[in-house]
Parts: sequence; structure tokens; C-alpha cells
Amino acid sequence: MNLVDFSSDAFIVAFFLYCFAFMFYVIAIAGKKWSNRDPFQHEKRWGRIAFIASSLGLASHLTFFFTRWAGSGQIPTSNMYEFMTFLGMAIMIAFTIVYAIYRKALLGMFALPLTVIIVAYASVFPQEVQPLIPALQNVWLKVHVTTAALGEAFFAVGFAAGLMYLLRVIDFKGKTKEARRSQFWVEFSLYSIVLIVGFIIAVFAFRGMGYEAQFVQEQSKIDAKGIESTTSETVNYTLPPIVKPYNSDIVQMDSFLGMDAPIFEAPYWMNGVNSGRKLNTVVWSVIAGSLLYGLLRLIFRKPLGAVIHPLMDGVDPEDLDEISYRAIAIGFPIFTLGALIFAMIWANIAWGRFWGWDPKEVWALITWLYYSAYLHFRLSRGWQGLKSSWLAVIGFVIVLFTLIGVNLVIAGLHSYSGV
Amino acid sequence: MLGVENTKCECGHQNSVGTVLCESCGKPLETDDLSDLPLEMRYDGVARRSQKSNPNFIDRIWNFFSSVKIAIHMIVITFLTAMLGTIYPQENTFINNFDPSVYYEETYGLPGKLYYLFGLTHTYESWWFIGLLVMIGTSLVICSLDRVLPLYRALSKQQIRKHPQFIQRQKTVFRHQLEDDEEQWSDQFGAQLKRKGYRIHRDGTALLAEKNRFSRWGPYINHIGLILFLLAILARSIPGWQMDSYVTVPDGDTVQIADTNYYVKNEKFTVEYYKDEELPDKLKGTARAKLFETKAVLYECVSKCDDQLQEPVLEEVKRHNIVVNEPLKYKGLKLYQFDFDTTPRLNAVRPVLVDKRTGETYGPFELPMKDSPLQHKLGPFTLDLYANYMEFAIGDNGEPVTLSRDPVAPAFIFTVKGPGLDPAGEPYLYFPMQKDKVKFSQDTINAAVAAKIEIRVDGMENVDFSEASTYLNVRMDRALPYVWVGAAFSMIGLLMGSYWQHRRIWLRIDNGELSLGAHTNKNWYGMRSDVATALQKTGIAVDPKSLDNGGNNA
Repeated sequence: MNLVDFSSDAFIVAFFLYCFAFMFYVIAIAGKKWSNRDPFQHEKRWGRIAFIASSLGLASHLTFFFTRWAGSGQIPTSNMYEFMTFLGMAIMIAFTIVYAIYRKALLGMFALPLTVIIVAYASVFPQEVQPLIPALQNVWLKVHVTTAALGEAFFAVGFAAGLMYLLRVIDFKGKTKEARRSQFWVEFSLYSIVLIVGFIIAVFAFRGMGYEAQFVQEQSKIDAKGIESTTSETVNYTLPPIVKPYNSDIVQMDSFLGMDAPIFEAPYWMNGVNSGRKLNTVVWSVIAGSLLYGLLRLIFRKPLGAVIHPLMDGVDPEDLDEISYRAIAIGFPIFTLGALIFAMIWANIAWGRFWGWDPKEVWALITWLYYSAYLHFRLSRGWQGLKSSWLAVIGFVIVLFTLIGVNLVIAGLHSYSGV
Repeated sequence: MLGVENTKCECGHQNSVGTVLCESCGKPLETDDLSDLPLEMRYDGVARRSQKSNPNFIDRIWNFFSSVKIAIHMIVITFLTAMLGTIYPQENTFINNFDPSVYYEETYGLPGKLYYLFGLTHTYESWWFIGLLVMIGTSLVICSLDRVLPLYRALSKQQIRKHPQFIQRQKTVFRHQLEDDEEQWSDQFGAQLKRKGYRIHRDGTALLAEKNRFSRWGPYINHIGLILFLLAILARSIPGWQMDSYVTVPDGDTVQIADTNYYVKNEKFTVEYYKDEELPDKLKGTARAKLFETKAVLYECVSKCDDQLQEPVLEEVKRHNIVVNEPLKYKGLKLYQFDFDTTPRLNAVRPVLVDKRTGETYGPFELPMKDSPLQHKLGPFTLDLYANYMEFAIGDNGEPVTLSRDPVAPAFIFTVKGPGLDPAGEPYLYFPMQKDKVKFSQDTINAAVAAKIEIRVDGMENVDFSEASTYLNVRMDRALPYVWVGAAFSMIGLLMGSYWQHRRIWLRIDNGELSLGAHTNKNWYGMRSDVATALQKTGIAVDPKSLDNGGNNA
């Protein structure tokens, strides 16, 4: 068995340990209300068990990281799979640091599922080790990517604490306009998370079935001399094509639930090679996520926010606000260093300019400006608590767009592989 | 506002207008504020310049830029507009043959046209975006000055004994009836805080403990760094401070770098691809570049540089193998590997002239594609160059034309004089490349002359061509050192301000009753735990959370 295979096993172990740790954190919090026990002792005991499990998970994850590094000869942060797993690991490191300061088991109940989702999301992408193109062979790449991801991981913890704050303080029985609006947006945030889970489930379900479809897409281009040339590209689908690529023909398509032909065609302006497939993936995520969400609603018979809210009883909202703020305040300098300064140093070495307004660079700057606005808002009266928690939640959406959205939607120098 | 506001505190200190808390004893000065909510502790309640009454025109501008609220608005507008700029590719991502007024509409339809019309295709070079950055820079300067001076004043002369109201209206407070000796307890408590890194100042039983004051300067150092950074970026628009251009150098050629005195020679360009066994299954069979390298030599022109008619005199100054991430560097000038082209390019041929009637061969002679000599003498024959074309084609009017200046399909027209030929000379069209010879039917055009003589190349050893051309990116950026200094300042300031917090604890004991108040600029959790631990060590057990007096976490 070589090191890369061994590292994959360590990765699976880490994934399951995270899942268990999540369950233990839930027991630590939800179990406080069970009969015949002292709630304080219960939380302490199970909180410790959960923390041990999550730390073992992190250890295993670190084993994965370093053995893959040793086995492949390059730092595993160079494609989407490797980067997302690293981000998951960084969130666990950030969580462990924040947990060491505040010792709140509740934080694990939110940080762990976040890690689990990100790690599972990473597994959707191709997992082979890919040799580096020349532009990526530099020590600053390692420094830049790892530091930036660590900074973003603290923002993720800030997001988790912010979302917890919202679930804690928002009145889920309120009927006022204000309360209803808050309920809606919290529910929308949870629904969005369920959509990502839906996406992961859809990808793995169809991958398990071995589903395949293939299209040939005709693309015409007019070159600089005004000569029109047509190229045909093959597009492979692993999810049943509800949407087929613009201007394309079926080469081969497995039947799924009697569906033998695509239902829609992607609009003309989505004429990039893979944009039809990406749109199809989005459609499937919405379908699978909505089904999952509907199922959860059927089981609990109330909004998910209202399901989680009672678990938060007895938690001091000020502590959550403080943790959220502090995680972001710790992450901000790390993010500045990794995503901007180290990035500029590397860009200067690789491309001869420290800044080129590449979409990824611009989005890193947007993230930085957003969080600097957040930090200044905290200085103003009335922006603590509720408003600042919303800012922490929205901030993480921006972080995710910078990390994933830019690569999938806007292509630039940072384009890795996509689904 | 004509009445003179009384800003004299009961302790006798004369404060300036706009002061919230007495600069000396800390008593709240707003007499109508009778609540017992935690105090506004920003800049210790000292007046700022922007709080001047009766502001004049300059004051108003100052006030505008000194507002954090305005600064946040500017930050938000900046990142929102920056988002817009990423919707479609910016103009500067296209290098050549690009007309933005047509491209965006053709590629993206109406949205693309509007995008171009609104100037979003060059968002980051637009006057309004740069204007926003300049405004943020101004705000950084004024916000910082407006706050750092009063803060410095407040922190450099602190009174130890504070007003009871000041202490009791902090966010972290504690009151307790002491049973021990007051002096002794204060000594003990001070010693505990000292072990935690606090500096202790005593005034009888009143105590002020302070730590990490330096962290208060962090944000200002960060702002200085950001200002430097922004100035460095603006300085790049000074002519001669920045250069960004491209040169194409075929193997073996020496090319001048435009607008400089430098010439670059490409001695050899090589490209290596990953072998199939190095690639994962999915990528097998694809050409994935592993390394590309230009053996480059940089020359500086020392004389006859601007003389079009003479060869410039060059002096070698630097030799370097350029690969990605390892540019050639010389005195601030950097040459980066940018791209390459592996289309071969013909440089010169060494053809011979054959007299078909006698079978006699003359030559070979050197025939470069560019700057060929005007006359060649070969035995009894003389070739006068009448015209040459780099990319030969027949134009619309039937006349020969050249489509470009690169030797893609070179052609030469010679006037040949010699035995058995017209004394005035006969025209002979010569294509060095076999493919062109066939395509343009050289022999048919040359007609009668072709029966008498032929110009041809014997063997590949008489052909000189470049296998590849390298594309180099030429960069120069004199602002760079300032950019790094700015970034370093900014980072140091951020670290100071984020990872250390300025903590202060005031206490006084009046008739055995201890009043303690504590303030920090960040991390109240840590503040409370410091106070609680010190209290515990002096025999007063207290839950850290119970010290919280409400109010907001700044």
C-alpha cells in the first residue's frame, strides 16, 4: 500500500470521527434535559467525549494531509478536492483554538456539521493527485493557500457562532412583521445548507448507480481574422440531464425513471463548454435539497429553526456574540496575511505583478473589505448582537463564493477542476 | 448655542467642548444622563476635533471624512462596485486584436453592450473607482488623526483615583464589603495583577492596573500602512514608474525591448511536457506542460542606439535561464516567461543557382528572410533584389502583396542578369518554402526563365529556422518597495490590535467598600476572567460572568 492510498483511508477515518463527534456534541447539548442527571455534569462529561472524538478526527485529518503530501511529493492544496479538504481541516483547527478559549460544547454542534459538509463536498471532486503546472510550483503557493484557508476557517467559526446566536435569540413563535422576517431568513439560511447536502447526496447517489450521459456540443468561434470555425466538445454528465448543453446532441444517455431525453436546453448565453452541465447540477441540487428539506419538515412538522431553537435554551447569547466576533477578529489578520499579502508576493513572483484584478483577487479583496466593514460596525452603537450575527452569516456566504463560486462561475487564473 | 457651555468638572478640571467624561476624574459630564448604564468609553470620553461647535467649511470637510459611518459606507460602496467588475472579463485580460466596443456586445448580447457603455469593462481603472480609493485614503488619514491625538492625550495622563460613578458604570464591575485591612488587601490584589502582566499605579487605596496599552496604537499603525500602500499604488501612474509590455523573441533572435535601451536575445527555448506515466489516467494523452525555459541574454545598447541606419553597439549585461517563477532581473527590469509558440519560423536559406543549360552550380549564397542584401554575385550571374514579401499573397488587384511582417510565406523577386539572359535582366520569383512554390506555381510564373536557371536549396543543412518563439512579459515597478513597506506596517498594526487587548482596572475603597471597574477595547471574556482570577486569589470567590454589567460588546 502506498502513502497516497493510506492517506485516503486516514481521510475516511477522519470523516467518520467527525460524524461521531457531531453526534456526541448533540448528546452533550440535547441530553441535558434528559431525566435522572445533573445537566452541568452531563454537558461536561459528553462535551469532553465529543472534544476527544473531534480532536482524534483532526489528528486523523492531519495524518491524511501529511501522508498525501509525502506520497505525492506536493502539498495537497492544488485542486478543488485537496483545497476543500484542507479548508475542512482548517475549520477544525480554528474550532479547536476557539474551543480552547471558551469551552462551549455548543460550538461543536455547529462547527462539526460545517466541517462534515465541507469534507463531503470535497469528495465530490476528482481525487487523483494532479501534477502541477509550472505557475504553481512555488513555496509561496503553499504559504498563501494554507494561510488564507486558515483565516477563512476562523470566519467559518464566526459564521457558526453567528448562526447559533440567531437561532438562540429569534423568537420562533413571534407573529410581528419583524419576527416573521427574521424567521424567514434563518429558515432560508438553513434551507441553503440543506441544498448543499442535497447536492452531495445527488452526486453520490448517481455516482453509486454509475449513471452516465454524453453530449456533443457544437461551438462556433470567430477568430481575429474573421474566419469562423466550429469546434465540437464532448460533455459528460454524471447526473441525469434535465438540462442539456446549448446547441448539443445526445451521444449516449442512460435512462433514469423513464426519462430518456433531456427536458430543457441551456439558454444561448450559457455557451461555455461546461456551463450546461453546471446548470444541470444546480437544478439537481435544488431538487434533491428541496426533497430532503420537505422530508425533514414532514418528520418535525415545524420549521427547522423552530426545531433547533429549544436546544439553545440556557445558552448565553452574549457569549455567542462574543465568540463570533472574536473568531472573526482572530481570523482577520490571518486572512489579510494569507489571502492578500502572501498572495501579492506570490503573484509578483509568478506573474510579475502583485495585483492584476483577476476575479479571484478581486473577490479576496471584497471579502477583506466586507470583514473590515464588519469590524468597524462593531465599534458603532447598536451593531452588536443580532445585526452583527447576520453580518457574520452573510460574510461566510461571500467567503464561500470567493472559494467556490468564482471557480465555478467566473473563470480566471485560479480555475481548478469543477463538477 | 450662544450660551457658553459649562465644561468644568466638579473635580476642578477644565474640559474642552465635546468631552463626555471628565479628562481627569472620569465623572460623566452630561448632566442629563442620569442612567446607570455602562458608559461610552471611546477615546476615554475625550473631545475630538470633529466635535467642534460652529464648524466652518474646512471643519465640515474634516467632519465628513472623520466619520466612521461615512468610512463604512465608502468601504461598502467599494466592494459592491468591485463585485460588478467581475461579472464579465475586464478589457485588460485581452492582449491583442481586441475591440471592446464590439467584443462585449457580440459575446454577451445586450447586457454586454450595457456593461461596456457603463464603463464596467475597465472598472478598476475608472475615475470613480480610483476616486473611491482616494476617498478611503483621505478618510484613513483624517479618521486616524481625529482619534489618535485625543486618545494619546487621554492615555498619557491618567488619574488613578476615579469618580465612583465612572467606576460603577463600567461594563465589568464588582462591589464588595471588605473585611480585611484595606491597604493590605490592595497590596495583595495589586501583586496578583502584576503577575498577570499588569502595571500597577497606586494612590492610597485607589488603584489603576493597566496592560498592553501599545495595542491601542495597532489600528493607527495599520492605517498608516494602508495609506502608504494606497500612495504607492497611485504613484504607479507616474510615467516611468511602471512598465508592462510583451516581446516575442524567436530562437536565436535579438529584439529590442520597446521604450528602453535594452535588447534581449533568445538563445534557445525549450518546452518539456509531462510524460504519460507521470499523469493520472484522466489526463493521459494530453499535453500538460512541465517546464518551459528561455535561455536569455540581456544586452544594453552603448552607442549608435537611436541611429536607424547603423547597427547599435550592444553590451551583454545579464544572462539567465528564464522559467516560470524565475524571471531575469536586472536593475528593476524583469523579464517573465509568459507564453510560447512552437510554430517553426524560417530565418534564412542558403540556396544555389543552377544553370540548367550547362548543369553548372553557383553558390550557395546567404539569403536571410529579413534585411537581405540587395545584390548577390554568383559566377557569371548577378541577382538584384527587386522586392521581397514576408507573407506572399496576390491582392485583389492582381498585384503581389504581403499580409504580415512575419516570414510565414516569404517570397523574393530577383532581377537576374547573366549569360543567355536579357541584358536588362529577367525577373525571377523565388519561394524558399516548398509548399509556397507549389501553391503559387513558381515555375509557371517564372515561365521562360525557369527553363534556363533555377534557384534552389540543397538539403536541410542549408535551411536555418527557429523551432519556437518565446513570449516574454517585461515588467518594471518602482513602487514595489513602498507597497511591501505599507503591507508590513499594516500587518504589524493588525497583529498588535487583534491579538493583544488594552485592559485597565480601576478600584477604590471607601470605608471598607470596594468598587472595581474594568475596561478593555476587545475581548470582555478575557477581561472578566483576569478580574475574577485576581479576586479569587485574594480570597473573594466570584463567577466571571457575574461581573458583567450589561451593555454591548464593542
